[in-house]
Amino acid sequence: MCRINLNKNSFTRWLLGCFLFPFLTLASDPICIRDQAGNPIPHAYVKIGPDKVVPVDSTGSFELPDNLEADQLIEVFAMGFDARQIRVREISELSSLRLTEKIGQMGEVVVAATRTDRSVEDLPMPVTVISREQIQETGGMRLSEVLREQTGLQVVSDHGAGLQMQGLSSEYILILLDGEPLIGRTAGTFDLDRISVTNIERIEVLRGPSSAIYGSEAMAGVINIITKTNGERFAASLESRYRSFSTMDLSAETSFNQNDWSVQAYLNRFRTDGFDLNPDVPGNTQAPFQATTGQVKLGKKSGRWEFRLYSRMYREDSDNVLQLIENGAGRLADMSSERRDVNLNPTVIYRPNEHWQLTLRSMTSLFETHSLTEMQEDGFVVDAQDFQQRYHRTEFQLDRQLGNNHLLTLGMGQLLETVDATRYEDLNRFDAGYLFLQHQWDPTDRWNIVTGVRGDLHSQYGERISPKISGMYKFSEKFSWQASLGAGFKAPDFRQLLLNFNNASAGYYVFGANLVQEGIERLQSQGLVQQVLLDPSQFGALQAESSLAINTGFRWKLSNDLLFQGNFFQNNISNLIETAPFARLTSGQNAFSYFNVSRVRTRGIELDWTWRLTKNLQVSAGYMYLDANDLDVLEQIDSGELFRRDADNRTRRVGRSDYGGLFNRSRHSGNLKISYQEPLSGINLALRAIHRGAFGFGDVNGNLILDDPAEYARALTSWNLSLSKAFRNGLLLETGGFNLLNQLNRYDPTNPGRTLFVGAKVPFHQLVKTK
Amino acid sequence: MNKWNTLYAGILLLALSTSCGETEVEEPEITLQAVMVENLHAPGDLMDRSTGVITEVRPFRYFSLEDNRVVDSEQGDWDIGFKGTTIIVNSGSSGPGTAQASVVTGTFDEITSVPSAADFKRDGEDGMAIPTGSGNGWYNYNPSSHIISPIPGRIVLVRTNKGNYAKVEILSYYQDNPPLAEVDPRTTPSPYYTFRFLLQPNGSLDF
Repeated sequence: MCRINLNKNSFTRWLLGCFLFPFLTLASDPICIRDQAGNPIPHAYVKIGPDKVVPVDSTGSFELPDNLEADQLIEVFAMGFDARQIRVREISELSSLRLTEKIGQMGEVVVAATRTDRSVEDLPMPVTVISREQIQETGGMRLSEVLREQTGLQVVSDHGAGLQMQGLSSEYILILLDGEPLIGRTAGTFDLDRISVTNIERIEVLRGPSSAIYGSEAMAGVINIITKTNGERFAASLESRYRSFSTMDLSAETSFNQNDWSVQAYLNRFRTDGFDLNPDVPGNTQAPFQATTGQVKLGKKSGRWEFRLYSRMYREDSDNVLQLIENGAGRLADMSSERRDVNLNPTVIYRPNEHWQLTLRSMTSLFETHSLTEMQEDGFVVDAQDFQQRYHRTEFQLDRQLGNNHLLTLGMGQLLETVDATRYEDLNRFDAGYLFLQHQWDPTDRWNIVTGVRGDLHSQYGERISPKISGMYKFSEKFSWQASLGAGFKAPDFRQLLLNFNNASAGYYVFGANLVQEGIERLQSQGLVQQVLLDPSQFGALQAESSLAINTGFRWKLSNDLLFQGNFFQNNISNLIETAPFARLTSGQNAFSYFNVSRVRTRGIELDWTWRLTKNLQVSAGYMYLDANDLDVLEQIDSGELFRRDADNRTRRVGRSDYGGLFNRSRHSGNLKISYQEPLSGINLALRAIHRGAFGFGDVNGNLILDDPAEYARALTSWNLSLSKAFRNGLLLETGGFNLLNQLNRYDPTNPGRTLFVGAKVPFHQLVKTK
Repeated sequence: MNKWNTLYAGILLLALSTSCGETEVEEPEITLQAVMVENLHAPGDLMDRSTGVITEVRPFRYFSLEDNRVVDSEQGDWDIGFKGTTIIVNSGSSGPGTAQASVVTGTFDEITSVPSAADFKRDGEDGMAIPTGSGNGWYNYNPSSHIISPIPGRIVLVRTNKGNYAKVEILSYYQDNPPLAEVDPRTTPSPYYTFRFLLQPNGSLDF
């Protein structure tokens, strides 16, 4: 079967066009192709012998010609399902034919990896898909709650709920919404709580810098959030969840499809009282907040043309209380903050024929935050911060199918970014352009190769060439091995280049790399500089952080019901940007700037088992081993230059065995998931145990590295349960809870403890139909 | 105000007795003992927190390693001085004396002599003998917990005004030398230096 094609749907049509024998006379009663739940599969196709194809209509039904031998073998295919072979004799006794879904989302289509539709099992890169059903099963409201249950992904609190992947933090992970980058990061973290999940169709997770399509930020990987597209003529539904901490999530969706026009609208309202892990200290651990998300998607197909216009807006308001201690006395201050996010994403696609596809798309985004801290007593403004970022990207992509085993993709784009903030001087602007070329090639049935290169040209850090190669060899239908090598990079961000910050109360200064010369001259003219430690005129420009990564692993389908996958990864990152002092001030404090100093290595293994025991029962288990080290620290340890103080205040050398690696990384993590459908009541049960091993929370013995047992937060397993029942009319009721054993950890401020929820989904269009 | 606690005053001379039967008299052997200084309060300048302007300049707290005591005046015979996180030596830009210092890496006990590589410097416009700033000299500043901690394994070697060598280890920046895990930088009083030192009074390089 051909694996490379521009568009999976047109591919089916193309097959039909090529092979359909017009002289076949139809006989027999229609047979409906259904999934295990009994729903028709409209996109299936039926093959008789080597080259005859029978059409399947939109209700999933087909009819066989009557001139077939009883022994004739028929093959039934559908995307996402295991193919089924059956003889004419057997099929004539059936009125419906059931297909089994491919295990472990192997059949799901992935766009993020190559910007073309390819199924997971055909991609030579470490890719996983989180399906609509899995998202539903978690009972989560925000994206962080869905992602934290996946093998190899952690959610870490650092200026918001940030994702950690392959041991790298949020600033190295590109977050896409329907293929377009989302902006708005605080100290590098993209807060996953900004994304509501009820309109997500699936989430694609691409690990490592294995795709040539993406540039900066995609060093650890890519998360592509695909929002729902409803093909029905009319649909409208209301979905609501309510849970502990007065948390409420309400979503309304509607869609129309007519005359090749499609319109979808989505509105979500979320509110929570937040929670407090330290009741003795004024203020909440998580501030109470309300958020509104709206999305409108317009689409029109017209012959060879397709037009899309997606738009989204987000607004969030939060309030908290802060205690400031001055001269030993605590005073309360009110903090309020607001975040806004607006995106507009038009796309035009032109398909002159099956071999060409041209796509022009753009993304325009605005991200704003405002925060204010005022003393409760006298309204004195302690701190007021504004931040505004605008982003525009236009990209042109050309796909060319050559034969049925080559697919070439050429892309070029331009981006413009501006930022205006309290802590930055003036309005700052970045311009960039890029070009990527990707070649997907199936030299034989067993080999599958994707090569690519991306070139970036940036107004701040110059040029960058990132080559990638991925290959997969199928030893058999059951076992394949893949390897992917890639260079990744992350450009210095606004903060690292442009920050102009003076901590008045502590007396220190921080200058972005672009302002450091100007900054030191100003401080010198004010007579504040005691000594220049590093001469700013000698600094080169701040370089992009760069990485070399390897991902290699296997997919082993022991049977149609048992899948075992593994992936080994190693990321070597150099030129990591950190702050360091460059001048000593007369006050005894320092002026800091950003430098390319550190080297980091993360490596590990991810393993996943999925086992379908019966039609109703599936068990899966995931595990990740992670080893993440600062290579400079290792060097210092090896040369005997690093020391520690023990509990008795004795100083001794740190050995390699003392060193626990980077903070906030768990050496061991994993999950166990059981999903069961009770046949009589039809109740779905999803029980998950999510384990996060011990991790270092911070330094307590003074040497700033993780090397003391007291520096670890203990391991924690969260038991989560969801029960749901879908009625015939589409109504869905659910209940369940997170962290049922109420495991708490003061070093994980994203974990509120036991949380219980109830929810309902009301599909109005189906209720109307049943009447 | 300052609690003074000298564990071992200065130097203990241990006279060795001769054993019976031996007639030779051995050279007297001197065992040097480390001295612990606790809670030397050395507040930094006062600053208006909203503007960053220094409103009151405070003096350094001067200390004589030779005499194991605080010296009141800059003009006195002191070796090192403390204010906030800054430690000065009595020379160059900091004082009228000739004291010098060098920061070396190792444990207090294993540094049994002044290494030949030690780079003794005076305080000057082009650098302080004990560099300031987190990670440079004697302390680390943890930006997430805001704790100032002495860098384990950093020993300050001082050449006193008299020309004798001493090794100094800063143990704590907080009152009563609490374990770091118990320090809350917002409430634990600081800067209260606790340090230990060992002075070789005979001018040799060995401790």
